[in-house]
Amino acid sequence: MQPYELSLAAAADAIRSRRLSPVELVDSVLERIDSVEPHLGAYVTVTAERARRAAGEAEHEVAHGRYRGPLHGIPMGLKDLIDVDGMATTAGSRVRADHRATADSTVAARLGAAGAVLLGKTHTHEFAFGLTTPQTRNAWDRGRVAGGSSGGSAVAVASGTATFALGTDTGGSIRVPAALNGVVGLKPTYGLVPRHGVTSLSWSLDHVGPITRTVEDAALVLGALAGHDPRDPASLSVPATDYRPGAGTDLTGLRIGLPRTYYFDNVDPNVESAVRQAVGQLEALGARLVEVDIPMTRYIQATLWGLLLPEAGAYHESSLRTVPELYQEDVRILLEASELMNAVDHVRAQRARTLMRAEWAELLDRVDVIAAPSVPVPAVGAGQATVGWPDGTVESVSDAYVRLCAPANITGVPALTVPVGHDPAGMPIGMQLLGRPLGECTLLRVGHAYEQTQPARQPATAA
Amino acid sequence: MTAVDLTPPEAARWAARAGLVLPAERHAAVAAVANHINGIVAVLRELDFAEVPPAAAYRAGRETHDAAV
Repeated sequence: MQPYELSLAAAADAIRSRRLSPVELVDSVLERIDSVEPHLGAYVTVTAERARRAAGEAEHEVAHGRYRGPLHGIPMGLKDLIDVDGMATTAGSRVRADHRATADSTVAARLGAAGAVLLGKTHTHEFAFGLTTPQTRNAWDRGRVAGGSSGGSAVAVASGTATFALGTDTGGSIRVPAALNGVVGLKPTYGLVPRHGVTSLSWSLDHVGPITRTVEDAALVLGALAGHDPRDPASLSVPATDYRPGAGTDLTGLRIGLPRTYYFDNVDPNVESAVRQAVGQLEALGARLVEVDIPMTRYIQATLWGLLLPEAGAYHESSLRTVPELYQEDVRILLEASELMNAVDHVRAQRARTLMRAEWAELLDRVDVIAAPSVPVPAVGAGQATVGWPDGTVESVSDAYVRLCAPANITGVPALTVPVGHDPAGMPIGMQLLGRPLGECTLLRVGHAYEQTQPARQPATAA
Repeated sequence: MTAVDLTPPEAARWAARAGLVLPAERHAAVAAVANHINGIVAVLRELDFAEVPPAAAYRAGRETHDAAV
């Protein structure tokens, strides 16, 4: 096994015990970038020299007894919506061609303080407003979409060109690409991870979170990211928490909600069977399955659109008037059309969020976790525009990928996607675990327990 | 097209009222997307909101209603 193939937890153990130097690890990942990045296009910018320098400093610190913790010397990528002092935050857009961040975002600063080594910035669908990330190819099949909008981050982690990465999630943008590339993605509780210095798509729906190869790795990254920052008005004050799940796999007493409605409607049969099999594994570990009905399903898409579009339109109001031709067509037209919505539509969506939040709180009183597919269909072909279903429904690829992720953005509850297999074409399938607000420890415990029952995952094949 | 859908000239006028001047070649496409969006969000009018206030942003956890000081 090469260092670039190590999980974060395994690399951290090796660095702490000085069996592996951060320089060896970073060099291995940079060599991997040299060999596969031309085929996959996960990165906007690779800062190799900066990474080597930081790795050298990390090695020096370890050698002199200053070990910062599990992210010390670990190479990572940041979605290019996340500010790093002195670097451009392009947001995947020509609108940002001349951008230069003048300070670190909170998450970049916290990762730096924890000793993580920045490899570069990863591709995003333009301004995070899309579900495919056309600049990047799927890590398992170059002819298929990476998913988005954090497509570069997910492909980098899946292909061994980052040990972990950060993404953002407004309607599924961490969980969708993580599921489509066979890696773990965590959308934390709204407000748990500060967004200061992260380009917004929709303030009331945006989240920042980790994309990793294992659930344990996601827990380690979350530990470095979480915590109050007054510069994000949504930021929560929560006590410092060790999110790392224990080694045990016993889930006795845990109630897992299995949706009777919504999450298994119009879902690819391969996805449904893989997720149901994984849920069966959780039951075999002692969890009790409880059938649940998802509330207000008719209003989920309407609520998400009623919140997201006016907020995105407001964010882009100025540049849409000065440089509209610099946007990609798919994003430009949504921003233009968003300006034709009226204020009452937006407030109505906010009131629907109040109702939905209350109903989800009641639902999560009855179960500890809800288990469901992350996305209804694995990665589609790069040119595919729609997904058709046996009941005659045809939906856009974007609508399909957002559909099962949106409830966690509207309600703010944490949601974790965990790989649970592949379809006959070899494309990864993800299971989504949703929990109570600030219930990350439970989600991570369940996801980690599931992973412990499975053979080690094979690396992505398209590189 | 339904009776309440915007025509391309109406979409252009509404955009202009919002301070956004749309080139003529974009009127039809913007009208179509705006009508699609309206069709999606209009379903929320079915809900009986009574005295429900808006949640401008989600807050984790639930409000505590005890007035203990």
